[in-house]
Amino acid sequence: MGKLRHLDIGTGGEVSVNWFINGVKKRIKTEKLDKYNLMYPSILEGVSDYNCPTEAINNGKWNMDKCIFCRQCDLNPTGKQDTYSIDQKIPGIFKKSLYLYPVDSGTCGACNVEFTTLFSPQYDSSRFKIFMANTPRHADALVVMGVHTEGMEQILREAYDAMPEPKIVIGLGACALSGGIIGRSAMEKYDIRIAGCPPTPASILNAIIEARGKK
Amino acid sequence: MKYYEFGDKTGRYVGRTEKYDVYASTLAGIGKDEDDHEERTPGEIYFNYGPSAGGLRESVNFSILTPGEAIRDVIINSGFKRRNIRITGDSISDVMLKVERINGFHSASHSIAYALAVEDALNVDNSDLNDARIVEIELERIRSNIDVIKGLCESAGFAVPEKQLLLLREEVARIISTAFGHRYYFSVNGINSVDGDFSRITLNSVEKQFRSLYDGLLSSKIFLDRIQENGIVSDPLSTGPAARAANFRYDARLDSGSLNYGKYSTVMESSGDTFSRFLVRAEEILESINIIESYDIKKIYRKNRMELNGSGEGTARIESPAGDLFYYVKINEGRIMDIQMSSPSYLNMRNFRYALKNGNIFTDFFFVWESFGIWISELEVRFQ
Ligand code: SF4
Ligand code: SF4
Repeated sequence: MGKLRHLDIGTGGEVSVNWFINGVKKRIKTEKLDKYNLMYPSILEGVSDYNCPTEAINNGKWNMDKCIFCRQCDLNPTGKQDTYSIDQKIPGIFKKSLYLYPVDSGTCGACNVEFTTLFSPQYDSSRFKIFMANTPRHADALVVMGVHTEGMEQILREAYDAMPEPKIVIGLGACALSGGIIGRSAMEKYDIRIAGCPPTPASILNAIIEARGKK
Repeated sequence: MKYYEFGDKTGRYVGRTEKYDVYASTLAGIGKDEDDHEERTPGEIYFNYGPSAGGLRESVNFSILTPGEAIRDVIINSGFKRRNIRITGDSISDVMLKVERINGFHSASHSIAYALAVEDALNVDNSDLNDARIVEIELERIRSNIDVIKGLCESAGFAVPEKQLLLLREEVARIISTAFGHRYYFSVNGINSVDGDFSRITLNSVEKQFRSLYDGLLSSKIFLDRIQENGIVSDPLSTGPAARAANFRYDARLDSGSLNYGKYSTVMESSGDTFSRFLVRAEEILESINIIESYDIKKIYRKNRMELNGSGEGTARIESPAGDLFYYVKINEGRIMDIQMSSPSYLNMRNFRYALKNGNIFTDFFFVWESFGIWISELEVRFQ
């Protein structure tokens, strides 16, 4: 390894970086949601009698909420990034802006990282008028991640109670929806269920966009 | 157990499992901790932050002892999201599915350390996979270190580099998923097996982009001012980049036999502040790229789904992105009877507290926190 590069700093003549220009020079990096595709997780097709470790296969049928996409069974991945189910549409009032407040009930960390990836230049959720709230008081949707844990049970309830009406609850990932391979689900009922372990950023955005409906 | 024995402490302290204090080559009974928290004096308050708050990625609570602006001490409650994970009596491969999900962001490190411990217990010759496993871990380190530096930029309100690092983190996630079929290495590692196309790992663009961002940050006086001389800690009970930033040459890549890194030089700094931790993380990105390129693996590995049936005890210790990660397993006829895991977040959390109470004020909090790269997920897990 060469000389540590930082040793050059502070030797006079600080170069000032214009981060604004630097940012503009990089040009737009935001992508269409179907630009980057991957097979796991995505919608699985077919019939299987594999002895699934999370009982996501029952009588040959696939239960998306329980699947941890472990790649062990013979169901076929389609690459379709819409691993979600919508039980309740998002109220029309949120068409112009939807503020999400994430709560980590008991995650491995990967769902949390995918959630923050929504705000990366590639996904730039603000173009869909989806933002992050810093407190449940300013939130329209509670995003629940991870398995049920004793310590977070009350915190989760308090966060939900603190949100103004109308409000919706989104379950993110196998742990939150069914307990996955780790434990039991964090909440009994969700308005939007986004499957995956973890769900991809594209699936998360597709779910919200569809649940909100067209303008 | 090729590398460890039960007994008195020997060598440096590595961390703690549910039952043992872990040293460089021994597992000892858990020693007594003294409560060295500061007493509250008149006029001081405990300021509560978390467990659920906008600035926190994971659930954790801090009670910050303060007379107003200075931080005198902090009581950390990380137990809110504690997960109880059942493993006793499960098959080796079923337990792997759970181990991968102890810390999803460092899943390659956890799954490889577990596989190495099982292979040690069952005397499996795993030398063929040494280089491939190193490449996986170093690629994970690149992503993790990018994330830590992104956190520092976010704390400084430096939106452009923060977004550019988020972009880069996502690019590395895509390289991982292209090579291994999953963005977090889930279902990639097995006992004496790896599933991945190593020819798909190309890091030229990541290196170029990172060098340019790193140069920019090193030239940003405002950024450097915020992280220099803040969060200073220099404690022999430390691990990973935080230890190396304080001039302790601690690195499982040098002193653990579980993986053989061959000739390898450790990045060192001496000030023990947030700036030094930033430098070590940044330089280690470049060093990890060097390591991956030096192996130049172009092979496709396919997973071997064989179930093993032996019995025994085994250990492994590797250098995860945040420091020493240790696994002990006890196997009875192919069933896991006990796992003891020590994650670097244990020592990093301890040192985060010492760094924070060392002459900092409220606005330093996030810089110090982000610079340790702590994951509560791996800290708060109990095996049953
Ligand atoms: S991919 Fe899903 S359905 Fe198939 S075995 Fe794994 S968890 Fe079960
Ligand atoms: S659903 Fe999967 S990725 Fe998300 S927290 Fe659970 S184990 Fe981790």
